[in-house]
Amino acid sequence: MVKITYIEANGDKQIVDATPGQSLMQAATRAAVPGILADCGGAAACGTCRIYVDDANYRAKMPPRSEMEDAMIEFHDDSEPHVRLACQIQVVEEFDGMVLRMPESQHS
Amino acid sequence: MTNYDSVDIFTDVGVATRPDPFIEHLRSKGPATWLRPDVVAVTDYATGLAIFRDEEHYSTVNCTFGPMELPFKVEGDDITDLIEAHRDQIPYGNLILNQDPPHHAKSKGVLMGIITPKRLKENEEFLVTLADRQIDEFFKDGKFEVITQYSQPFATLAIADLLGVPEEDRPTFKTLTGSLPGEIGGVAPEDVSSNPLAQIGIFFFKYIEDRRANPQKDVLTDLALQKYPDGTLPSTVDIVTAATFLFGAGQDTSVRLIAAMLRYLAEDQELQQRLRADYSLIPKFTEEVLRLEGTAKATFRLVKKKVKIGDIEVKPGTSVMLMIRAMNRDGKRFENPADLDIARRNSQEHVAFGRGIHACAGAPLARAEARVTLERLFDRTKNIRINEAKHGPANAREYNYWKNYLLRGITELHLEFDPA
Repeated sequence: MVKITYIEANGDKQIVDATPGQSLMQAATRAAVPGILADCGGAAACGTCRIYVDDANYRAKMPPRSEMEDAMIEFHDDSEPHVRLACQIQVVEEFDGMVLRMPESQHS
Repeated sequence: MTNYDSVDIFTDVGVATRPDPFIEHLRSKGPATWLRPDVVAVTDYATGLAIFRDEEHYSTVNCTFGPMELPFKVEGDDITDLIEAHRDQIPYGNLILNQDPPHHAKSKGVLMGIITPKRLKENEEFLVTLADRQIDEFFKDGKFEVITQYSQPFATLAIADLLGVPEEDRPTFKTLTGSLPGEIGGVAPEDVSSNPLAQIGIFFFKYIEDRRANPQKDVLTDLALQKYPDGTLPSTVDIVTAATFLFGAGQDTSVRLIAAMLRYLAEDQELQQRLRADYSLIPKFTEEVLRLEGTAKATFRLVKKKVKIGDIEVKPGTSVMLMIRAMNRDGKRFENPADLDIARRNSQEHVAFGRGIHACAGAPLARAEARVTLERLFDRTKNIRINEAKHGPANAREYNYWKNYLLRGITELHLEFDPA
């Protein structure tokens, strides 16, 4: 199991046991993390599973943003520097211990 | 006094127009309960959310109307293949909403190719002009009926613009609205011929064929030439289907949402003043109205594989009524659920637009329509009030709602205002 911490904008934390091969979105929604809505179910089509990856070491282990992911993040005008869509990132063993933050609203 | 144990939700006008007491009656029986031998109703937020996300056990083939006589005999613990083999015989079975994986992904891809973030941004700029044009039409009267004079034309023309419908054809689109699914005493599901969307389809067929032969620099050309992720060109019919679907799905839903928002604001002057003083509160308010008065009260799933819902064993072929309104008013998820509270921390968790692969693709459009409408109305008026000559005094208001088991919508909303 890969332990990942999701932190809501108000500071509430939830530690999730993720399975390699799942997306970071699936790991969160299966554990009912409140801040990850994933309206579209993982198609990079809604931008409501945004996460902030503050730790550069973990960012280096993630694939780069696709054009579609870029467009969706731009649509939400999210100015946080290290924003990603959780549905576009597959969990790998090296994510163990990672901490992710979530926006106050996924619909801004 | 209605006996809720024997009432038929599919025909009872009282339950359709005043759904909440019945919802609470169902909730008291558990997260899921039998409505009749072939239908299970789900009122619990967590239970419903899991079903929204479970494509393995549930099909959406019945989601437009709910329970129906299946064109095959249900046999065994898994009817996935039987559904696919008979899909063409199921009314609306091939709509995007009613398709299942893996075909659904392809159709949704075409739809998402239409509602791109870029198009939404451009469309949002047009919405401001469009809102002002509609407001101009009644502004000097100091009063208006929200649905016919504002939100209906506004929502229709918003989609027409999103899809790049030429200006000269837009007046025709405004007249093409028809009967709704779920209407009690409405068009039977079998009768597809009277569907006004067929008319819109003819327009789009012409547009797509034309732009494929003579590409121009416009949205319709982008629409006509967009490709599937595998690089192949969709058939004209596939694109026409997606475009017309958008018209069907995006009209009444946004229209009634805007009306519901304006009713709350006209009834609560203090809330209206707070929003007028701080437009950044509008999105929070929108989410709360979506939660409490979202247009879709319920949707359906058909059980494909034997499954357990709560404590209930459910066999393939059973319909599941996902009671969106009940889920959004689940006190276990939302504190004081019936209160509209713009400071509520988790409003955004409502399921007014569904969840999972079938979640509403037009949600960003609906939210933009709602926000632009309030901003323009607030800018141009001083105070929006209920027209008491039409709806009665504050202690005895009369509002009428659709006689519909699936959709919630006020039939008329008359308002008054002073110019700013």
